[in-house]
Amino acid sequence: MLSRTHLKTGMQSLRGAKWRNFWTMFGVIVGVASVISAVSIGEGIKMQIGSQISHLGKNVITIRPSRIHGKNAAGNLSILAGTSITGSLSPDDVEKVQKVSGVETAVPLSATIGGVVGEHGSYQDGLVIGTSPDFADLVGQSVDYGSFLSADDMGQYTAVLGQHAADVMFNEGIPLGHTFMYKGKEFIVRGILSEFKTAPLSQDANFNDAIFIPYDVSQDLTNKTAPTYEILAKPAQAKTIDATIARISGTLVKAHGGAQDVSVLRQDQTLANSSQILDLLTVLITGVAAISLLVGGIGIMNVMLVSVTERLHEIGIRKAIGATNRQILGQFMVEAVALTLGGGIIGVGVAYAIDGLLRVFTTLQPSIQWQIVVISVGVSLVVGVLFGTIPALKAARKDPIEALRSQ
Amino acid sequence: MALIELKDVSKLYGFGDATTLALDEVNLTIEKGEFVAVMGPSGCGKSTLMNIIGLLDRPSHGNYRLDTKDVSKLRPNRAAKVRRDIIGFIFQSFNLLPRLTVLENVALPLAYKGRAQSKRLKQASAMLERVGIQSREYFLPSQLSGGQAQCAAIARALVNNPKIIIADEPTGNLDSESSRLVMELLSEIHKTGNTILFVTHNPELTRYATRVVYMHDGSIIHDEKTAIGRVASTARKVLYSLPQTDEEDDLAGVSALMKALPSQTATRKRSSKKKPAKKRTAKGAKK
Repeated sequence: MLSRTHLKTGMQSLRGAKWRNFWTMFGVIVGVASVISAVSIGEGIKMQIGSQISHLGKNVITIRPSRIHGKNAAGNLSILAGTSITGSLSPDDVEKVQKVSGVETAVPLSATIGGVVGEHGSYQDGLVIGTSPDFADLVGQSVDYGSFLSADDMGQYTAVLGQHAADVMFNEGIPLGHTFMYKGKEFIVRGILSEFKTAPLSQDANFNDAIFIPYDVSQDLTNKTAPTYEILAKPAQAKTIDATIARISGTLVKAHGGAQDVSVLRQDQTLANSSQILDLLTVLITGVAAISLLVGGIGIMNVMLVSVTERLHEIGIRKAIGATNRQILGQFMVEAVALTLGGGIIGVGVAYAIDGLLRVFTTLQPSIQWQIVVISVGVSLVVGVLFGTIPALKAARKDPIEALRSQ
Repeated sequence: MALIELKDVSKLYGFGDATTLALDEVNLTIEKGEFVAVMGPSGCGKSTLMNIIGLLDRPSHGNYRLDTKDVSKLRPNRAAKVRRDIIGFIFQSFNLLPRLTVLENVALPLAYKGRAQSKRLKQASAMLERVGIQSREYFLPSQLSGGQAQCAAIARALVNNPKIIIADEPTGNLDSESSRLVMELLSEIHKTGNTILFVTHNPELTRYATRVVYMHDGSIIHDEKTAIGRVASTARKVLYSLPQTDEEDDLAGVSALMKALPSQTATRKRSSKKKPAKKRTAKGAKK
């Protein structure tokens, strides 16, 4: 029986010792804040990846060497698959994919690292990606300044820069017409892409850091050793995407002599890999945070136990003037629950503060869902009930005379 | 019908060798409207008797009928409800909750009865007016003088309209002026028909009582009805002729208290001779 009176008396005794109560709640505050933060960061990353994919368009088919997706020699899932290039795709594959019926365009992406000398010296941050003119259209990326590579640029030493690459390599804000050196050749900047949406833990290379050059040029300069790590293909009709995927897959298996070393995926399927890792991480971190919530609960139990001993005299008085055991129990339960619930609510506030800070200072965009807020506040309530019971029972069962005698 | 009826009530504490007999087959009947003073040296079982009558404690043996109902074996929760409804406690050290205001303290028993807050505070306020400290409603107990605090405690004891008021040394912590105030107040309450039991060491205060019960070693050794305004004869003896032990007594180990008691305790006197340690308790009675 928890009446308003219990609530009031409980709150009254809590008001007495504000700082002690704060530190008592601290465990729960940390627990709740970290549970919410962990889940919301995971959730936020998923949403970022999701928006990246929806930006690329669901109807884009991704063809990757499957070794990249698979497990490495040690049997571990390789997280940095997108950049660890062990490709088994060749320029011939690109042509074959292009010819598969139902494929409108196929765009290869080949990559080499470094070797670029800009106005600020050597540029190490990004990849030099060889691709074809359709790339920008295919991924729905617009160009901020200049234009993307065109059919006329094939075989020419021209380049289009990702936004970040343009900032780092050149002194000027819009370095159109400026040049940089790559493999002993001088490349002219033709255009600068608008900013790509990126997501942490994404398997795609960060295109904002990348330098795009014509595909054939990249092959020529590296004696065809620049690995083609991905082919993006656009189906002629969105409805038949699955059939198209099957045909591409069949063609490539045949071309590779029956080896199933290429995976052909829809964009939303590429998400599955990232999700799996993310879910694992989220569960792990949430588990640790949940333990801190438990420890917080035990802290509250301890403080309540001490409080019962400290306030034995008060219990005695209350019993003498007619409080039943149940009423004393109720009072102490309310106190414990108020402590954990208060901790939970402050924890939610802290989680929102963390969310804000992460948004300002990192590329993470945590998203706090109302469900997790409700759940964690609910859990803190349950923790209060759970760990409040023992001290409250102890208080309720005190012998009134003994309690009155203590000072 | 008697309001309080104790029959052969005993109370034992401890186990085995350490067992102490706090009450030894006490028989006591108190009618409605009596104003009983309970006297006796420290450790004689007065407080135990009050606790049992006030249902804070259960007798080990014997039978206790309160308002014709047998309450000797009540469960703690039931006992709490009886306490709440028909018994009011007043303590030596006031026992007001320090964090609540005077008004909230007085209203507390009503809260346990489940009264609505506004009604509770109104009733408490009326009770404070009755004891004459309404102007201190929103003070904390620590801001009151001893006399005022005890008045607040009396108001708290009265707020549920109890049939019995049990006061364990209500004036023990008060100066004579405040003592008088408190006793006048109790006496007024008695006039409205309440039954009051109070423990005191001060024989002067038996003037207010209609009956004096004298206890020793867990038994009632003297019980007399007195007129209001007169010091009870037993108490007078205690007051005027007590604590004198001569050297001879000290050597013999005779309790000075025993000498002062009415003659009917001759048997006890003999038994106490064997226990020289008793003397200390006798000196306690000097206070």
